[in-house]
Amino acid sequence: MMTTTREMQRKQRQDARFISKQTQTSAKYLRRIAELPGAPDGMEPFYETLHRIYVGMQGVDLPLGVNAVGTYCVMAPQELIYAAGAMPVKLCSGNYTAFFVGDDIAPRDACPLVKAVAGFKHTGLMPIYDNCSMMIVPVTCDCKKKTAAMLSKKCNVMTMHIPASRGDDEIDGFTDQLYELAAWLEDATGNRITYDSLVNAFSMVGHAQYELSKFIRLKKQHPYLIRGTHAMTIMNAAAYMSAPAWANAMHRVNASLRERAEKGQTVTSKKLPRILLTGSPIVFPNMKIPLLIEETGGIAAADETCMGERGMWDPPVITDNSFDGMMRALANRSLRPCPCPTFADNSQRLFRLRQLIRDNQIQGVIYHVLRGCLVYDFEYRRIEEELGRLGIPVIRLESDYNEEDVEQLRIRIEAFIELIKLRQAPAEKAAVRRDFNEQILHWA
Amino acid sequence: MTDKSFDIFRSEYTRELTRISEQKMELPELKYFLDTQYLWACCKADHKPQTVVLGTGIPEELVIAAGAVPYWLTGGSLGSISWSDELVPRDTDPVSRSVLGYIHQPDGADFSGSLFIIPLVSDSMRKIAYLLSQQGRRLCLVDIPPQREKKSSERFFERQMLQMTRAVSTHTGARTTKRSLISAVRQVTRARTTLREFLNISSDRTDIISPAARMLVQDSYYRTSDLEGWTYSLRALTAQTAGLARRYARMQNRPCVAVMGSPIVFPNYKIPFLIEEAGMDLTDTVDSSVLKQHLRHSSKALRGTRDRIIRNIASEWYSADGSSAFVSSDTLYRYVSWLVQSKNIEGVVYHVLKGQIEPDFELERFEELFSQLGIPLFRLETDYQYQDIEQLRIRLEAFCEMLVQKRYKEVRKAK
Repeated sequence: MMTTTREMQRKQRQDARFISKQTQTSAKYLRRIAELPGAPDGMEPFYETLHRIYVGMQGVDLPLGVNAVGTYCVMAPQELIYAAGAMPVKLCSGNYTAFFVGDDIAPRDACPLVKAVAGFKHTGLMPIYDNCSMMIVPVTCDCKKKTAAMLSKKCNVMTMHIPASRGDDEIDGFTDQLYELAAWLEDATGNRITYDSLVNAFSMVGHAQYELSKFIRLKKQHPYLIRGTHAMTIMNAAAYMSAPAWANAMHRVNASLRERAEKGQTVTSKKLPRILLTGSPIVFPNMKIPLLIEETGGIAAADETCMGERGMWDPPVITDNSFDGMMRALANRSLRPCPCPTFADNSQRLFRLRQLIRDNQIQGVIYHVLRGCLVYDFEYRRIEEELGRLGIPVIRLESDYNEEDVEQLRIRIEAFIELIKLRQAPAEKAAVRRDFNEQILHWA
Repeated sequence: MTDKSFDIFRSEYTRELTRISEQKMELPELKYFLDTQYLWACCKADHKPQTVVLGTGIPEELVIAAGAVPYWLTGGSLGSISWSDELVPRDTDPVSRSVLGYIHQPDGADFSGSLFIIPLVSDSMRKIAYLLSQQGRRLCLVDIPPQREKKSSERFFERQMLQMTRAVSTHTGARTTKRSLISAVRQVTRARTTLREFLNISSDRTDIISPAARMLVQDSYYRTSDLEGWTYSLRALTAQTAGLARRYARMQNRPCVAVMGSPIVFPNYKIPFLIEEAGMDLTDTVDSSVLKQHLRHSSKALRGTRDRIIRNIASEWYSADGSSAFVSSDTLYRYVSWLVQSKNIEGVVYHVLKGQIEPDFELERFEELFSQLGIPLFRLETDYQYQDIEQLRIRLEAFCEMLVQKRYKEVRKAK
């Protein structure tokens, strides 16, 4: 009995430490993001959402009678979850404190994202993980595969097989899986997925996608209109907000950005090097890389990560108005345009990167690799070659969920930004050098 | 650089083969298996494999039925790693590196006209497939659905096998018929049954055939191009081993251990040699291909149309596959539970190759199982390098001491 009480006290102390450390880190990152100059008006709902989840440690803001369904990848279609009367919550985590807890549970070489998920699930202190009526784990990598097994011991988990290619057979197979998912969702929520509920869900998510497309267009047409860190915060908050709430908040941000664009205002008066961030996902509160880019004199002009714009960008194309047609549209949308490295042939990603570079006038690429994220690391070589052909400099940044490497990362990012600046205006630089040489000759 | 890599590669093979042949086993038939390994690795100039299989994750009977002789690339060599170093990230597991290295070996086999069958069991295999497709190689990808409990997964795998058989047939120009399927199944089943018999007889007679030699014989299944000849020789070896086992009583009484986890592929035999040197008997090896030996297609499976037979073979294979390509490794778990209870295994060495994350994830479940059974389990992480050999030796010696102490304790308790 004594031991049990002592153990309970120890557990309470551990939990208190965890909560204190977790909330402090999250609050610090939220403060740093908010303090970055140039945030557009209307950012408050996004800050509040992240504050509520990570600092307040409350669950997602769910309407009465609505279940939360956890997802671990953008390939689980949120339309289907909304159609079942539930709300999708992305559970991929970027939390440093949970990562340290997960470090003792998951194998040493597992990626930090999986360790953070394991950490949160183990502590049972994060309501968003415990309030889910079911979890959907699309198997995109070895770690996710084994995480599904780990999670299934504690909750209702449906794994989805992500095929290695995107042929017609694979789309058929994936459509079958979506029907299976629909049945699981119906069981978990007690609601039937009907034609009407699916149409409603499409329009709900479509509205959010429309706002996102406006946001992307504004960013594209007017460089330096918003900082990448703020854009990524908006996209991260989408993980914990319902599509209508997010779309409404986004509408305000877009209005503010349009106003700025009309007045010709920008977040900076200088032409800062425009960086594209790609690779392993940047999940709140692990925002150190976008923050470092913007604190060291660059601007994260675009991102190609699954927690960023990729998560919601491609709308489903419905060519057949039947229920099955909509399910096929979801399967097509999930697989065909997705540049996830889980696919054996991922030329799609090169195409997407070229598109982003052209549209956002990118001058350099930062390739982010989370330690242990092998699939992204494998693709680096090919992308480096391709960017070399385009004359775009690229660096590979390997990082983990801790703050110990921040200073090393800062030095590397600073050097990279300097390099881009040097390349920025070779004519001006050459003129300065010529004057200097002439002066030297004159003195001689 | 290339010459040096080739020297490392060749010396690695010859060193391990010499070590095994010097173990003074009275088994003349063993020479066939030593030669098979040597010829596969070091005389590649005239090798022009038609159909290459990366890993062991597909039923070979289907490949054989489609008129091909599978050329397996299963890794295992430190020397071959250097030929793939620039192609893969630092954290890639040594098996994948070695497999890719064999393909890029400068004076190795000629793979220019080969069809590569790649079972996508892990992230590395998926990305290796991408790399090879960029090089313009002809590929046949086999996607393995990770959740075995679902009926739809099984159907998906059956479709994959139908496609694979069709692809191999097109490549070889030979038709896959019902007759060729039945003949291939018989040929493979004979080989598997003979291997199982050999392992049953030899596993606890380490005084007659050493664990390293036993593993080499097992591994040579993936190195032979003449399966019938291999089966014949193995039958002779089994008979010789059985004859010696009848003639000589077992003398040694060392702690018996099993190795499980990441595969141990020839020539990287440092673990079996170290176990032996530390004073333990390695009686069983449990890896992803172990359940293959127990797979025997039912006569019912061989009835029906050609496609029906392919589907049946695929289905039986899928439910018996012991690889870690699945969300949960229930089949392997059941096999291991049966193995430790039916055999006298006193300890388990859980081998994890650096970068192979799946066995590491599964460790927890096996740890629980072995702790319930009172069998000590010991995790050993390594790669294909030899620099850690002394650390491993110390750890294995300590493990052996612990097993011996446990024996004394049990004897004292019994008294």
